[in-house]
Amino acid sequence: MRRALLIVCALTAAAAADTPASAPAPKLERTPVTPAPGMIERARLEIQPGGRAIKQLAIENPLGNVKVEGYDGTSIMIETRKQAPDEEGLERLRVSLVPNPDGTVRITTTADGGKEFKNVSRANMRIDLIIRAPRDARIEAAVSAGSLEVINMDAGGDLDTASGPISVRNVSGGVSTHSVSGATSLTQVFGSVDAQTISSNVDLDTIGGERLIASASRGKIAGRRVRARHIELTTTDGAISLEGESTLRGRIVVASLRGDVDVRLRRQGAVTIRARGTKVNLGSATPFAKTQQDGWVESQLGQIGKTAPAFVELRSRYGTVQFAIIE
Amino acid sequence: MSCDDVRPRLTAYLDGDLDAERGSVVRGHLRTCDACRQVATDEAALRDELRLLPAVDPPPSMWAGIQARLGEEEVAHARRPAWRRALARWAPSAPRFAAGGLVAATAIAVLWWRSHRGPEAPAPATPEPAPIAANPPNKVTGPTQVEVGGDVSVDVTVDLAGEAARVTAHYGDEAEELLARAGEARALWTGEQKDAFDAHVVELRGAITAAAEGRPRQRAWRELIRYLRGAAVRDEVALAGGGQ
Repeated sequence: MRRALLIVCALTAAAAADTPASAPAPKLERTPVTPAPGMIERARLEIQPGGRAIKQLAIENPLGNVKVEGYDGTSIMIETRKQAPDEEGLERLRVSLVPNPDGTVRITTTADGGKEFKNVSRANMRIDLIIRAPRDARIEAAVSAGSLEVINMDAGGDLDTASGPISVRNVSGGVSTHSVSGATSLTQVFGSVDAQTISSNVDLDTIGGERLIASASRGKIAGRRVRARHIELTTTDGAISLEGESTLRGRIVVASLRGDVDVRLRRQGAVTIRARGTKVNLGSATPFAKTQQDGWVESQLGQIGKTAPAFVELRSRYGTVQFAIIE
Repeated sequence: MSCDDVRPRLTAYLDGDLDAERGSVVRGHLRTCDACRQVATDEAALRDELRLLPAVDPPPSMWAGIQARLGEEEVAHARRPAWRRALARWAPSAPRFAAGGLVAATAIAVLWWRSHRGPEAPAPATPEPAPIAANPPNKVTGPTQVEVGGDVSVDVTVDLAGEAARVTAHYGDEAEELLARAGEARALWTGEQKDAFDAHVVELRGAITAAAEGRPRQRAWRELIRYLRGAAVRDEVALAGGGQ
Protein backbone atom coordinates (compact mmCIF):
# COMPACT_ATOMS: atom_id res chain seq x y z
CA MET A 1 0.00 0.00 0.00
CA ARG A 2 1.29 3.43 -0.91
CA ARG A 3 1.97 5.68 1.97
CA ALA A 4 0.33 9.03 1.98
CA LEU A 5 2.86 10.90 4.05
CA LEU A 6 6.54 10.40 4.50
CA ILE A 7 7.58 13.37 6.51
CA VAL A 8 5.85 14.09 9.76
CA CYS A 9 5.57 17.78 10.38
CA ALA A 10 5.24 17.95 14.12
CA LEU A 11 4.03 21.47 14.52
CA THR A 12 3.68 22.44 18.12
CA ALA A 13 0.64 24.25 19.39
CA ALA A 14 2.78 27.26 20.15
CA ALA A 15 4.20 27.26 16.70
CA ALA A 16 0.72 27.02 15.28
CA ALA A 17 -0.28 30.11 17.22
CA ASP A 18 2.68 32.12 16.00
CA THR A 19 3.82 30.32 12.93
CA PRO A 20 7.21 31.37 11.61
CA ALA A 21 7.20 28.85 8.85
CA SER A 22 4.83 26.78 6.81
CA ALA A 23 5.46 23.26 5.59
CA PRO A 24 3.40 22.00 2.66
CA ALA A 25 3.06 18.32 1.81
CA PRO A 26 6.34 16.86 0.57
CA LYS A 27 6.93 15.82 -3.02
CA LEU A 28 7.52 12.09 -3.13
CA GLU A 29 9.61 10.02 -5.44
CA ARG A 30 10.52 6.37 -5.48
CA THR A 31 13.53 5.35 -7.46
CA PRO A 32 14.15 1.73 -8.37
CA VAL A 33 17.66 0.66 -7.56
CA THR A 34 19.19 -2.73 -8.16
CA PRO A 35 20.20 -5.23 -6.89
CA ALA A 36 19.58 -6.97 -3.51
CA PRO A 37 16.88 -6.63 -0.84
CA GLY A 38 15.78 -3.26 0.46
CA MET A 39 13.92 -0.10 -0.44
CA ILE A 40 14.74 3.55 -0.93
CA GLU A 41 12.34 6.42 -0.69
CA ARG A 42 13.01 10.06 -1.50
CA ALA A 43 11.01 13.10 -0.54
CA ARG A 44 11.36 16.85 -0.98
CA LEU A 45 9.91 19.52 1.21
CA GLU A 46 10.12 23.30 1.22
CA ILE A 47 9.49 25.34 4.34
CA GLN A 48 8.58 28.96 3.79
CA PRO A 49 9.26 31.38 6.62
CA GLY A 50 6.16 32.79 8.26
CA GLY A 51 6.24 36.19 9.87
CA ARG A 52 9.79 35.70 11.10
CA ALA A 53 12.95 34.82 9.21
CA ILE A 54 14.57 31.44 9.86
CA LYS A 55 17.54 32.20 12.11
CA GLN A 56 18.71 28.81 13.21
CA LEU A 57 18.55 25.20 12.12
CA ALA A 58 18.88 22.53 14.79
CA ILE A 59 19.40 19.18 13.12
CA GLU A 60 19.75 15.82 14.78
CA ASN A 61 20.12 12.78 12.54
CA PRO A 62 21.60 9.69 14.19
CA LEU A 63 20.60 7.57 11.19
CA GLY A 64 22.72 8.90 8.36
CA ASN A 65 24.37 11.86 6.64
CA VAL A 66 23.53 15.54 6.84
CA LYS A 67 24.54 18.10 4.27
CA VAL A 68 23.60 21.74 4.74
CA GLU A 69 24.21 24.21 1.97
CA GLY A 70 23.52 27.92 2.23
CA TYR A 71 21.89 29.91 -0.55
CA ASP A 72 20.49 33.39 -1.12
CA GLY A 73 16.90 32.56 -0.29
CA THR A 74 14.58 32.63 2.68
CA SER A 75 13.01 29.18 2.70
CA ILE A 76 14.45 25.82 3.70
CA MET A 77 14.46 22.99 1.19
CA ILE A 78 14.89 19.51 2.59
CA GLU A 79 15.57 16.42 0.57
CA THR A 80 15.29 13.18 2.50
CA ARG A 81 16.46 9.78 1.42
CA LYS A 82 15.24 6.88 3.50
CA GLN A 83 16.47 3.36 3.21
CA ALA A 84 15.12 0.23 4.86
CA PRO A 85 14.93 -3.48 4.11
CA ASP A 86 11.21 -3.36 3.35
CA GLU A 87 8.01 -1.30 3.39
CA GLU A 88 7.51 -1.80 7.09
CA GLY A 89 11.02 -0.57 7.78
CA LEU A 90 10.39 2.57 5.73
CA GLU A 91 7.21 3.16 7.74
CA ARG A 92 9.28 3.21 10.90
CA LEU A 93 11.67 5.93 9.73
CA ARG A 94 10.55 9.39 10.70
CA VAL A 95 11.69 12.93 9.96
CA SER A 96 10.18 15.56 12.23
CA LEU A 97 10.15 19.29 11.57
CA VAL A 98 9.35 21.66 14.39
CA PRO A 99 9.40 25.36 13.49
CA ASN A 100 9.60 27.42 16.67
CA PRO A 101 8.34 30.97 17.06
CA ASP A 102 11.86 32.23 17.81
CA GLY A 103 12.96 31.50 14.25
CA THR A 104 14.54 28.11 14.97
CA VAL A 105 13.60 25.14 12.84
CA ARG A 106 14.31 21.80 14.48
CA ILE A 107 14.77 18.76 12.24
CA THR A 108 15.12 15.38 13.90
CA THR A 109 15.06 11.83 12.65
CA THR A 110 14.17 8.66 14.47
CA ALA A 111 12.90 5.13 14.00
CA ASP A 112 9.67 3.98 15.58
CA GLY A 113 9.88 0.97 17.83
CA GLY A 114 7.52 -1.42 19.46
CA LYS A 115 6.45 -5.02 19.69
CA GLU A 116 4.45 -4.76 16.50
CA PHE A 117 7.62 -4.30 14.45
CA LYS A 118 10.08 -7.00 13.57
CA ASN A 119 13.71 -6.61 14.57
CA VAL A 120 15.75 -4.52 12.10
CA SER A 121 19.35 -3.63 12.76
CA ARG A 122 20.51 -0.05 12.54
CA ALA A 123 22.91 -0.92 9.75
CA ASN A 124 19.88 -1.56 7.53
CA MET A 125 17.99 1.61 8.36
CA ARG A 126 19.13 4.94 7.07
CA ILE A 127 18.02 8.52 6.57
CA ASP A 128 20.16 11.03 4.69
CA LEU A 129 19.28 14.70 4.67
CA ILE A 130 20.29 17.34 2.15
CA ILE A 131 19.19 20.78 3.28
CA ARG A 132 19.37 24.10 1.51
CA ALA A 133 19.05 26.90 4.01
CA PRO A 134 19.25 30.70 4.08
CA ARG A 135 22.89 31.69 4.39
CA ASP A 136 22.38 33.72 7.54
CA ALA A 137 20.93 30.83 9.54
CA ARG A 138 23.13 29.35 12.25
CA ILE A 139 23.54 25.59 12.09
CA GLU A 140 23.49 23.27 15.08
CA ALA A 141 23.79 19.74 13.84
CA ALA A 142 24.52 16.36 15.35
CA VAL A 143 24.98 13.06 13.56
CA SER A 144 26.34 9.74 14.67
CA ALA A 145 28.31 7.68 12.14
CA GLY A 146 27.13 9.61 9.11
CA SER A 147 28.97 12.51 7.55
CA LEU A 148 28.18 16.08 8.47
CA GLU A 149 28.85 18.71 5.83
CA VAL A 150 28.18 22.43 6.03
CA ILE A 151 28.86 24.69 3.05
CA ASN A 152 28.39 28.37 2.22
CA MET A 153 26.89 29.60 5.47
CA ASP A 154 27.34 33.01 7.13
CA ALA A 155 26.40 32.52 10.77
CA GLY A 156 28.66 29.68 11.85
CA GLY A 157 27.51 26.67 13.78
CA ASP A 158 28.00 23.95 16.31
CA LEU A 159 28.64 20.52 14.83
CA ASP A 160 28.84 17.22 16.64
CA THR A 161 29.49 13.65 15.48
CA ALA A 162 30.42 10.38 17.12
CA SER A 163 32.41 8.69 14.35
CA GLY A 164 31.21 10.49 11.24
CA PRO A 165 33.48 12.96 9.41
CA ILE A 166 32.84 16.68 9.70
CA SER A 167 33.43 18.93 6.72
CA VAL A 168 32.99 22.70 6.81
CA ARG A 169 33.66 24.84 3.75
CA ASN A 170 33.22 28.53 3.04
CA VAL A 171 31.57 29.44 6.31
CA SER A 172 31.64 32.72 8.21
CA GLY A 173 30.95 33.09 11.90
CA GLY A 174 32.11 31.07 14.83
CA VAL A 175 32.33 27.35 14.23
CA SER A 176 32.78 24.72 16.89
CA THR A 177 33.10 21.03 16.08
CA HIS A 178 33.34 17.99 18.32
CA SER A 179 33.88 14.41 17.36
CA VAL A 180 35.00 11.21 19.03
CA SER A 181 36.59 9.63 15.97
CA GLY A 182 35.35 11.50 12.92
CA ALA A 183 37.92 13.28 10.75
CA THR A 184 37.39 17.03 10.89
CA SER A 185 38.07 19.28 7.94
CA LEU A 186 37.56 23.04 7.99
CA THR A 187 38.27 25.02 4.84
CA GLN A 188 37.70 28.72 4.28
CA VAL A 189 36.28 29.48 7.68
CA PHE A 190 36.18 33.15 8.57
CA GLY A 191 35.40 33.31 12.24
CA SER A 192 36.60 31.81 15.47
CA VAL A 193 37.11 28.05 15.34
CA ASP A 194 37.05 25.49 18.12
CA ALA A 195 37.65 21.94 16.85
CA GLN A 196 37.96 19.08 19.30
CA THR A 197 38.37 15.37 18.57
CA ILE A 198 39.62 12.33 20.42
CA SER A 199 41.07 10.01 17.81
CA SER A 200 40.90 11.61 14.41
CA ASN A 201 42.76 14.18 12.38
CA VAL A 202 41.92 17.85 12.17
CA ASP A 203 42.61 19.53 8.86
CA LEU A 204 42.50 23.33 8.70
CA ASP A 205 42.87 25.29 5.48
CA THR A 206 42.38 29.02 5.03
CA ILE A 207 41.20 29.99 8.47
CA GLY A 208 40.81 33.62 9.44
CA GLY A 209 39.27 34.65 12.72
CA GLU A 210 39.96 35.98 16.16
CA ARG A 211 40.59 32.60 17.79
CA LEU A 212 41.56 29.19 16.51
CA ILE A 213 41.56 26.39 19.04
CA ALA A 214 42.01 22.79 17.93
CA SER A 215 42.83 19.75 19.98
CA ALA A 216 43.08 16.00 19.43
CA SER A 217 44.38 13.08 21.43
CA ARG A 218 45.30 10.44 18.88
CA GLY A 219 45.15 12.46 15.71
CA LYS A 220 47.19 14.95 13.73
CA ILE A 221 46.44 18.61 13.34
CA ALA A 222 47.46 20.24 10.08
CA GLY A 223 46.87 23.92 9.40
CA ARG A 224 47.57 25.84 6.22
CA ARG A 225 46.95 29.49 5.42
CA VAL A 226 45.94 30.20 8.98
CA ARG A 227 45.61 33.71 10.34
CA ALA A 228 44.19 34.27 13.80
CA ARG A 229 45.17 36.47 16.70
CA HIS A 230 44.97 33.64 19.19
CA ILE A 231 45.98 30.17 18.00
CA GLU A 232 46.12 27.16 20.27
CA LEU A 233 46.77 23.72 18.82
CA THR A 234 47.16 20.77 21.17
CA THR A 235 47.61 17.02 20.71
CA THR A 236 48.71 14.26 22.99
CA ASP A 237 49.96 11.74 20.39
CA GLY A 238 49.59 13.31 16.97
CA ALA A 239 51.96 15.57 15.06
CA ILE A 240 51.07 19.21 14.52
CA SER A 241 51.99 21.23 11.45
CA LEU A 242 51.04 24.84 11.02
CA GLU A 243 51.66 27.25 8.19
CA GLY A 244 50.25 30.65 8.81
CA GLU A 245 50.78 34.24 9.72
CA SER A 246 51.70 35.89 12.97
CA THR A 247 49.60 38.90 13.86
CA LEU A 248 50.52 41.94 15.90
CA ARG A 249 50.08 41.21 19.59
CA GLY A 250 49.01 37.72 18.62
CA ARG A 251 49.57 34.57 20.67
CA ILE A 252 50.33 31.20 19.11
CA VAL A 253 50.69 28.11 21.28
CA VAL A 254 51.39 24.79 19.58
CA ALA A 255 51.88 21.95 22.00
CA SER A 256 52.05 18.18 21.88
CA LEU A 257 52.96 15.51 24.36
CA ARG A 258 54.40 12.92 21.95
CA GLY A 259 53.91 14.39 18.49
CA ASP A 260 56.37 16.45 16.47
CA VAL A 261 55.68 20.16 16.06
CA ASP A 262 56.42 21.96 12.81
CA VAL A 263 55.49 25.64 12.49
CA ARG A 264 56.17 27.98 9.59
CA LEU A 265 55.06 31.59 9.89
CA ARG A 266 54.89 34.71 7.81
CA ARG A 267 55.95 37.42 10.18
CA GLN A 268 54.20 40.72 10.76
CA GLY A 269 56.08 42.86 13.24
CA ALA A 270 58.19 41.51 16.05
CA VAL A 271 57.85 37.95 17.27
CA THR A 272 59.02 36.40 20.53
CA ILE A 273 59.55 32.65 20.31
CA ARG A 274 60.11 30.09 23.01
CA ALA A 275 60.34 26.41 22.23
CA ARG A 276 61.07 23.19 24.04
CA GLY A 277 61.31 19.64 22.72
CA THR A 278 63.61 16.63 22.50
CA LYS A 279 65.22 18.48 19.61
CA VAL A 280 64.57 22.12 18.79
CA ASN A 281 65.34 23.78 15.46
CA LEU A 282 64.34 27.41 15.18
CA GLY A 283 65.81 27.77 11.70
CA SER A 284 68.27 30.18 10.22
CA ALA A 285 65.98 33.16 10.78
CA THR A 286 66.63 33.02 14.50
CA PRO A 287 70.43 32.84 14.81
CA PHE A 288 70.49 34.35 18.29
CA ALA A 289 68.38 31.75 20.02
CA LYS A 290 69.40 31.14 23.60
CA THR A 291 68.87 27.94 25.52
CA GLN A 292 67.75 28.54 29.09
CA GLN A 293 68.57 26.31 32.03
CA ASP A 294 65.06 24.90 32.14
CA GLY A 295 65.42 23.63 28.56
CA TRP A 296 63.46 26.37 26.83
CA VAL A 297 65.03 27.86 23.71
CA GLU A 298 64.12 31.51 23.31
CA SER A 299 64.56 33.98 20.51
CA GLN A 300 63.21 37.18 19.10
CA LEU A 301 62.64 38.36 15.59
CA GLY A 302 62.30 42.00 14.60
CA GLN A 303 62.52 45.16 16.64
CA ILE A 304 60.08 45.58 19.49
CA GLY A 305 58.53 48.99 19.09
CA LYS A 306 55.47 50.52 20.64
CA THR A 307 53.28 47.51 19.94
CA ALA A 308 53.84 44.30 21.86
CA PRO A 309 55.38 41.48 19.83
CA ALA A 310 53.50 38.39 18.82
CA PHE A 311 54.21 35.52 21.19
CA VAL A 312 54.89 32.04 19.85
CA GLU A 313 55.26 29.04 22.13
CA LEU A 314 56.10 25.63 20.71
CA ARG A 315 56.54 22.54 22.79
CA SER A 316 56.63 18.80 22.62
CA ARG A 317 57.70 16.77 25.62
CA TYR A 318 58.69 13.65 23.66
CA GLY A 319 58.81 14.97 20.09
CA THR A 320 60.84 17.41 18.02
CA VAL A 321 60.09 21.08 17.50
CA GLN A 322 60.81 22.89 14.27
CA PHE A 323 60.19 26.50 13.39
CA ALA A 324 60.81 28.57 10.29
CA ILE A 325 59.96 31.99 9.00
CA ILE A 326 58.43 32.14 5.52
CA GLU A 327 59.96 35.05 3.66
CA MET B 1 4.96 -5.94 32.89
CA SER B 2 5.22 -4.75 36.50
CA CYS B 3 8.00 -2.83 38.24
CA ASP B 4 9.18 -6.08 39.85
CA ASP B 5 9.63 -7.60 36.41
CA VAL B 6 11.38 -4.56 34.97
CA ARG B 7 13.91 -3.73 37.69
CA PRO B 8 15.96 -6.94 37.46
CA ARG B 9 16.28 -6.25 33.72
CA LEU B 10 17.35 -2.62 33.95
CA THR B 11 21.08 -3.38 33.99
CA ALA B 12 20.84 -5.54 30.89
CA TYR B 13 18.65 -2.88 29.27
CA LEU B 14 21.18 -0.12 29.92
CA ASP B 15 23.91 -2.39 28.56
CA GLY B 16 21.84 -2.97 25.41
CA ASP B 17 21.87 -6.69 26.14
CA LEU B 18 18.10 -7.29 26.01
CA ASP B 19 16.63 -8.62 22.81
CA ALA B 20 14.40 -6.30 20.81
CA GLU B 21 11.12 -7.42 22.31
CA ARG B 22 12.21 -7.32 25.94
CA GLY B 23 14.00 -4.03 25.35
CA SER B 24 10.85 -2.57 23.89
CA VAL B 25 8.77 -3.73 26.86
CA VAL B 26 11.23 -2.23 29.35
CA ARG B 27 11.37 1.00 27.36
CA GLY B 28 7.60 1.18 27.27
CA HIS B 29 7.42 0.66 31.02
CA LEU B 30 10.03 3.35 31.66
CA ARG B 31 7.99 5.82 29.65
CA THR B 32 5.07 5.46 32.02
CA CYS B 33 6.67 4.63 35.38
CA ASP B 34 8.42 7.53 37.15
CA ALA B 35 9.84 5.31 39.88
CA CYS B 36 11.54 2.88 37.51
CA ARG B 37 12.76 5.71 35.33
CA GLN B 38 14.37 7.28 38.39
CA VAL B 39 16.03 3.94 39.23
CA ALA B 40 17.36 3.71 35.65
CA THR B 41 18.65 7.30 35.80
CA ASP B 42 20.35 6.63 39.14
CA GLU B 43 22.00 3.51 37.81
CA ALA B 44 23.28 5.37 34.75
CA ALA B 45 24.68 8.10 37.04
CA LEU B 46 26.29 5.46 39.26
CA ARG B 47 28.00 3.96 36.25
CA ASP B 48 29.42 7.34 35.33
CA GLU B 49 30.76 7.69 38.86
CA LEU B 50 32.30 4.23 38.74
CA ARG B 51 34.07 5.07 35.52
CA LEU B 52 35.76 7.94 37.30
CA LEU B 53 37.34 5.68 39.91
CA PRO B 54 41.07 5.14 39.41
CA ALA B 55 42.00 1.98 37.57
CA VAL B 56 43.39 -0.81 39.74
CA ASP B 57 46.53 -2.39 38.35
CA PRO B 58 46.74 -6.16 38.77
CA PRO B 59 49.68 -7.38 40.88
CA PRO B 60 52.86 -8.17 38.91
CA SER B 61 52.63 -11.81 40.04
CA MET B 62 49.38 -12.23 38.12
CA TRP B 63 50.88 -11.02 34.85
CA ALA B 64 53.94 -13.24 35.41
CA GLY B 65 51.62 -16.24 35.86
CA ILE B 66 49.76 -15.46 32.63
CA GLN B 67 53.02 -15.12 30.73
CA ALA B 68 54.27 -18.43 32.14
CA ARG B 69 51.12 -20.22 31.01
CA LEU B 70 51.31 -18.66 27.56
CA GLY B 71 54.91 -19.81 27.32
CA GLU B 72 53.95 -23.38 28.27
CA GLU B 73 51.22 -23.36 25.64
CA GLU B 74 53.64 -22.15 22.96
CA VAL B 75 56.14 -24.88 23.85
CA ALA B 76 53.42 -27.55 23.67
CA HIS B 77 52.22 -26.14 20.33
CA ALA B 78 55.75 -26.22 18.88
CA ARG B 79 56.16 -29.89 19.91
CA ARG B 80 53.06 -31.00 18.03
CA PRO B 81 53.59 -32.65 14.62
CA ALA B 82 53.22 -30.35 11.61
CA TRP B 83 50.09 -32.14 10.32
CA ARG B 84 48.30 -31.53 13.63
CA ARG B 85 49.20 -27.84 13.59
CA ALA B 86 47.88 -27.56 10.02
CA LEU B 87 44.66 -29.38 10.98
CA ALA B 88 44.18 -27.07 13.94
CA ARG B 89 44.48 -24.10 11.62
CA TRP B 90 41.83 -25.41 9.22
CA ALA B 91 39.39 -27.05 11.60
CA PRO B 92 37.82 -23.89 13.04
CA SER B 93 37.07 -22.66 9.50
CA ALA B 94 35.28 -25.82 8.40
CA PRO B 95 31.77 -24.80 9.52
CA ARG B 96 32.18 -21.48 7.74
CA PHE B 97 33.17 -23.18 4.49
CA ALA B 98 30.15 -25.45 4.81
CA ALA B 99 27.81 -22.53 5.44
CA GLY B 100 29.36 -20.58 2.55
CA GLY B 101 28.85 -23.54 0.22
CA LEU B 102 25.23 -23.84 1.28
CA VAL B 103 24.59 -20.13 0.65
CA ALA B 104 26.28 -20.32 -2.76
CA ALA B 105 24.23 -23.38 -3.74
CA THR B 106 21.01 -21.66 -2.66
CA ALA B 107 21.91 -18.54 -4.64
CA ILE B 108 22.62 -20.58 -7.78
CA ALA B 109 19.31 -22.43 -7.37
CA VAL B 110 17.38 -19.16 -7.00
CA LEU B 111 19.08 -17.65 -10.05
CA TRP B 112 18.35 -20.76 -12.12
CA TRP B 113 14.71 -20.74 -11.03
CA ARG B 114 14.31 -17.05 -11.86
CA SER B 115 15.86 -17.43 -15.31
CA HIS B 116 13.67 -20.48 -16.13
CA ARG B 117 10.31 -19.17 -14.85
CA GLY B 118 9.04 -18.62 -18.39
CA PRO B 119 7.14 -15.76 -19.97
CA GLU B 120 3.86 -16.45 -18.16
CA ALA B 121 5.06 -14.65 -15.02
CA PRO B 122 2.73 -11.62 -14.69
CA ALA B 123 4.37 -8.24 -15.03
CA PRO B 124 3.58 -5.85 -12.18
CA ALA B 125 0.97 -3.24 -13.05
CA THR B 126 2.92 -0.46 -11.31
CA PRO B 127 6.66 -0.26 -10.92
CA GLU B 128 7.57 -1.95 -7.67
CA PRO B 129 10.01 -0.28 -5.33
CA ALA B 130 13.29 -1.77 -6.31
CA PRO B 131 15.55 -3.53 -3.87
CA ILE B 132 18.89 -2.12 -2.91
CA ALA B 133 21.86 -3.49 -1.11
CA ALA B 134 21.73 -3.12 2.64
CA ASN B 135 24.52 -0.98 3.96
CA PRO B 136 27.33 -2.59 5.90
CA PRO B 137 27.65 -1.50 9.52
CA ASN B 138 29.07 1.97 9.81
CA LYS B 139 32.40 1.57 11.50
CA VAL B 140 35.33 3.88 11.88
CA THR B 141 38.74 2.39 12.25
CA GLY B 142 41.18 3.85 14.66
CA PRO B 143 42.18 3.63 18.27
CA THR B 144 38.78 4.81 19.48
CA GLN B 145 35.83 3.39 17.63
CA VAL B 146 32.25 4.35 17.97
CA GLU B 147 30.54 1.42 16.35
CA VAL B 148 27.08 1.95 14.98
CA GLY B 149 24.85 -0.88 13.84
CA GLY B 150 27.59 -3.41 14.38
CA ASP B 151 25.32 -5.84 16.23
CA VAL B 152 22.71 -6.93 13.70
CA SER B 153 20.67 -8.71 16.36
CA VAL B 154 19.86 -5.41 18.09
CA ASP B 155 16.89 -3.45 16.84
CA VAL B 156 17.51 0.06 15.57
CA THR B 157 15.47 1.65 18.38
CA VAL B 158 17.44 -0.17 21.08
CA ASP B 159 20.67 0.83 19.37
CA LEU B 160 19.59 4.46 19.20
CA ALA B 161 18.49 4.44 22.83
CA GLY B 162 21.92 3.31 23.97
CA GLU B 163 23.94 5.61 21.76
CA ALA B 164 24.24 8.59 24.10
CA ALA B 165 25.54 6.33 26.87
CA ARG B 166 28.07 4.72 24.50
CA VAL B 167 29.44 8.06 23.32
CA THR B 168 29.54 9.35 26.90
CA ALA B 169 31.49 6.23 27.88
CA HIS B 170 34.09 7.02 25.19
CA TYR B 171 34.51 10.49 26.65
CA GLY B 172 34.80 8.96 30.13
CA ASP B 173 37.51 6.55 28.99
CA GLU B 174 39.41 9.35 27.33
CA ALA B 175 39.23 11.50 30.45
CA GLU B 176 40.63 8.63 32.51
CA GLU B 177 43.54 8.19 30.13
CA LEU B 178 44.30 11.90 30.14
CA LEU B 179 44.07 11.98 33.90
CA ALA B 180 46.77 9.32 34.04
CA ARG B 181 48.92 11.35 31.65
CA ALA B 182 48.37 14.51 33.65
CA GLY B 183 49.57 12.47 36.62
CA GLU B 184 52.88 11.93 34.80
CA ALA B 185 53.25 15.69 34.38
CA ARG B 186 52.27 16.23 38.00
CA ALA B 187 55.81 15.65 39.18
CA LEU B 188 56.78 18.97 37.60
CA TRP B 189 54.11 20.96 39.38
CA THR B 190 54.35 22.94 42.58
CA GLY B 191 52.08 22.11 45.51
CA GLU B 192 49.95 25.13 44.67
CA GLN B 193 49.56 23.96 41.08
CA LYS B 194 48.57 20.49 42.24
CA ASP B 195 45.92 21.94 44.53
CA ALA B 196 44.60 24.16 41.73
CA PHE B 197 44.49 21.20 39.36
CA ASP B 198 42.67 18.96 41.83
CA ALA B 199 40.15 21.66 42.67
CA HIS B 200 39.42 22.33 39.00
CA VAL B 201 39.00 18.62 38.22
CA VAL B 202 36.55 18.26 41.12
CA GLU B 203 34.64 21.26 39.83
CA LEU B 204 34.45 19.89 36.28
CA ARG B 205 33.39 16.47 37.55
CA GLY B 206 30.66 18.12 39.54
CA ALA B 207 29.46 19.75 36.34
CA ILE B 208 29.39 16.33 34.65
CA THR B 209 27.29 14.84 37.43
CA ALA B 210 24.93 17.80 37.37
CA ALA B 211 24.50 17.75 33.58
CA ALA B 212 21.54 15.99 32.06
CA GLU B 213 22.14 12.66 30.33
CA GLY B 214 22.97 12.89 26.63
CA ARG B 215 24.55 15.85 24.87
CA PRO B 216 24.72 18.17 27.93
CA ARG B 217 26.70 15.51 29.80
CA GLN B 218 28.92 14.89 26.78
CA ARG B 219 29.59 18.63 26.63
CA ALA B 220 30.61 18.58 30.30
CA TRP B 221 32.94 15.63 29.67
CA ARG B 222 34.53 17.51 26.77
CA GLU B 223 35.30 20.42 29.09
CA LEU B 224 37.09 18.05 31.47
CA ILE B 225 38.95 16.45 28.55
CA ARG B 226 40.02 19.85 27.28
CA TYR B 227 41.39 20.80 30.68
CA LEU B 228 43.15 17.47 31.23
CA ARG B 229 44.66 17.51 27.76
CA GLY B 230 46.03 20.97 28.44
CA ALA B 231 47.39 19.86 31.79
CA ALA B 232 49.00 16.72 30.37
CA VAL B 233 50.59 18.51 27.43
CA ARG B 234 51.31 21.98 28.62
CA ASP B 235 51.80 21.40 32.35
CA GLU B 236 52.58 24.66 34.07
CA VAL B 237 51.24 26.90 31.29
CA ALA B 238 47.91 25.11 31.28
CA LEU B 239 47.65 25.28 35.02
CA ALA B 240 48.46 28.94 35.15
CA GLY B 241 45.77 29.67 32.60
CA GLY B 242 43.14 27.33 34.03
CA GLY B 243 43.60 24.92 31.17
CA GLN B 244 43.06 27.40 28.38
